[in-house]
Amino acid sequence: MAETGGAGSTENLDRVLADLRALSGDIASCSVLSKDGELLASSHGEGVDRERVAAMVAALVNLAERVARENDKEHASQVRVKAEGGHVLLVRLDAGDALAATTGPDARVGLVLYDMRNARGEVEKVLEGGREA
Amino acid sequence: MRKLFGRLLLLGALAGGVVAARGYLKRGMPGEEVVQIVFDDGSTYVLASNSVEGQEFTDIARKVVEIGV
Repeated sequence: MAETGGAGSTENLDRVLADLRALSGDIASCSVLSKDGELLASSHGEGVDRERVAAMVAALVNLAERVARENDKEHASQVRVKAEGGHVLLVRLDAGDALAATTGPDARVGLVLYDMRNARGEVEKVLEGGREA
Repeated sequence: MRKLFGRLLLLGALAGGVVAARGYLKRGMPGEEVVQIVFDDGSTYVLASNSVEGQEFTDIARKVVEIGV
């Protein structure tokens, strides 16, 4: 699914997301979004409007960055949004990419964010490898 | 008949007063914390459900939760 660095990078990103979901059972879905708002990888199968998903996650990232600027901060490194039906979690990656996840309403959000932060290094490594290729 | 009408009027006024008081008290209460942002320096920023910015986040997040990412 990833377009950065070809098929190898895609498979590696999919593997990292699958590992993250296996580790954190509360995650309903997760994805990696590029700085430009492109969906690089997603735990979703076919049939999901990838452009719509990417646009909505990018909108949340942009809102968080706006709040950061308004508060004289460089970046928002982590975002947690509680919505009707569940949570949306974002973790900022190097170079402005983002790791996103959704959970149910009763998820242990702190634990999920901990697992996402731990997976960040692995995702960054794959993305970096893809950019160098 | 006049007596009944008077009682109904009084009941209506009481009910209206209760609704108005509830609305006034609710307005002064802080909203639920719905957004938590951690910045790169480790500081945290929280947005409440009754803030415009908080609602912007939750409106989008609700749709994202519905369809997944």
